[in-house]
Amino acid sequence: MAATKSQGKAFSLFMVGLTTACAGIAYLSSGSGIAALIVGLIVVAVAFGLFLSIKPLEGKVPENIQPVALKLAGLVAALGGWMIVLYGLHLTATVSGRLTTTLIGFAVSLFGILYLLPMAANKNAIWKA
Amino acid sequence: MRIVRTVSYICALGFALAAGAGIVARADAPPSASAAELKAAASTAPATTTLANGDPGGALTGTVSDVPVSDAKTGLTLGDVANQVGQNKIGVNFTWTLICGFLVMFMQAGFAMVEAGLCRVKNANHTYMMNFFVYGCGLFAYWIMGFAIQMGGAAGNGNLGGLQPLIGEQTLNLFGTNWGIFGHSGMFLSGHTYDVGVMVIFLFQMVFMDTALTIVTGACAERWKFLTFAVSSVLMGAITYPLFANWAWGGGWLAQLGTNMGLGKGYCDFAGSGVVHAVGGVTALACALIVGPRIGKFNRDGSANAIIGHDISAVLIGCFILAFGWFGFNPGSTLGASGAGCLRIGSVAVNTMLAGCTGTFGALLYMWALKGKPDASMSVNGMLAGLVAITAPSGFVNPTASAIIGLIAGVLVCVSVAFVENTLKVDDPVGAISVHGAGGLWGVLSVGLFADGTSNYGGSWNGVTGSVTGLFYGDASQLVAQLVGMVTLVGFVFSFSYALNWVLDAFIGQRVSAESELEGLDLPEMGQLGYPEFVFRPESEILTPVAAVA
Repeated sequence: MAATKSQGKAFSLFMVGLTTACAGIAYLSSGSGIAALIVGLIVVAVAFGLFLSIKPLEGKVPENIQPVALKLAGLVAALGGWMIVLYGLHLTATVSGRLTTTLIGFAVSLFGILYLLPMAANKNAIWKA
Repeated sequence: MRIVRTVSYICALGFALAAGAGIVARADAPPSASAAELKAAASTAPATTTLANGDPGGALTGTVSDVPVSDAKTGLTLGDVANQVGQNKIGVNFTWTLICGFLVMFMQAGFAMVEAGLCRVKNANHTYMMNFFVYGCGLFAYWIMGFAIQMGGAAGNGNLGGLQPLIGEQTLNLFGTNWGIFGHSGMFLSGHTYDVGVMVIFLFQMVFMDTALTIVTGACAERWKFLTFAVSSVLMGAITYPLFANWAWGGGWLAQLGTNMGLGKGYCDFAGSGVVHAVGGVTALACALIVGPRIGKFNRDGSANAIIGHDISAVLIGCFILAFGWFGFNPGSTLGASGAGCLRIGSVAVNTMLAGCTGTFGALLYMWALKGKPDASMSVNGMLAGLVAITAPSGFVNPTASAIIGLIAGVLVCVSVAFVENTLKVDDPVGAISVHGAGGLWGVLSVGLFADGTSNYGGSWNGVTGSVTGLFYGDASQLVAQLVGMVTLVGFVFSFSYALNWVLDAFIGQRVSAESELEGLDLPEMGQLGYPEFVFRPESEILTPVAAVA
């Protein structure tokens, strides 16, 4: 399908909705601000609905099905490593202690990003077919 | 007794007369020396008739008569002169910051040339257009939302007049300590943020943000659907980038690691190795993992094919444009050229030059010695990696350290490109993940190692008195602060970007059809070939096993 008028219209709608929603946030203290936020969010939702409706028209996409569980595991590991670091900052007040927990957290995050998620991406990779 | 009383009266009268005389004397005293000098200077200023004859030597233009007088009746006062000095300081800083921002904006041209040059001719228009439109997407998103999140609570910068309208930082109280999470002043630059200083910081920060966005287009080039690219870029400019930038530069929790946790001067990132480049690099990795490799990039056995770009001259010229723009990126991050240690701009500029130079050496010599050829595209990536790496430490390190940082970055980018391609099996046509991701993280780390404690930007950094000092100069806690920033980049920013683009993949689809990809994206996606006169060669003639190239 490639780029089409439908895509252009959906993207325009998305931009209008986002701008309206932001205007609503900017003036949230006023009644019109709340109304603008609600209208903006509805328009963004409609835009996403349009995105979804025109997606099947794209044709055969050279994408593999990536296992969701493995992707989630990778994300959990990446975020978990960050959480370890945040927790470690309060666990100890010494520099060496904080250095240790930070390095552990870093390793856990990297495990998720550089091992689990690439494994998910390459599980059914198109080049294996 | 009467005699005593009479003498007392006489003394009192004497004191009264003396005091009165003093008052009269003070009232009739000549003006102080400085006020007299101002009047003298005003009287000797060149007359209008003299100036009408022209001033070829430049000695008559710009005198005391050019200082605005607040009250014509009183004439020039010290207050007028002091106000003019203050205006001059802020004027110099505004001009410096704006011009540096203009240089950074021009880097978009460099990115476009490097990325398009490293892609095949059939995707030239599409790649150039992504680099072109990302500017608009990012700018608009930043104006309506991103700037407020990033800088909405960043009041207090003396170099730009205080930026007092930016006072809205949302904080979270954890363990009895307040942590900055995001700002909320400045959406649409309206209301009280319609301010001269706010406009300057908006322009400067906006072009930085756009640099981060354009990094992603390189890693996903030649197969990214234009619609998804546009939506993804808008959301990155509105949320992802501003959030981390607030934590590092907008008074957020990473910057507060020094004041709240005693970790050095907090997370220090002078010009954005982490905030700009690593954010772009890890987001590029997240998107590239979701989009998947180009058709023909990997063989069935997992070995990689080198897909050669169509215009190495564009790549090399684009790299020089980027290196030129970097003189806005790093020295401009002082946000001024007058006051508060801003004269260090010379040192920052030289550090930038040196790291780019040694980065080129690192990559070129690595490729030449180990692979047999001084590879042009890797040399470009080496220079860029050196520049990326010095971006965070440029304001805190000496020239020797900057040369070392650049050299290591140049070698690191070669190793990283091979790792990303051969081990992760992630297709990154331009090496953006390695240049900006790996190079950016190395730059963040190097602050914690090499900062020499000689910089003095107004006596403190991130609210902590003293200079930024790394491990090699005696402060191990600064290294911890930098590592916390690195984990936030790979842990939070990556995850956030991955989740966001996963959702977009579900709703819009990240990738073009196989038919479009094989045909080239210029016609299906953009409706026009980049180079209509070119005759395409079959893919089989272009694809070359990496082993053969090496």
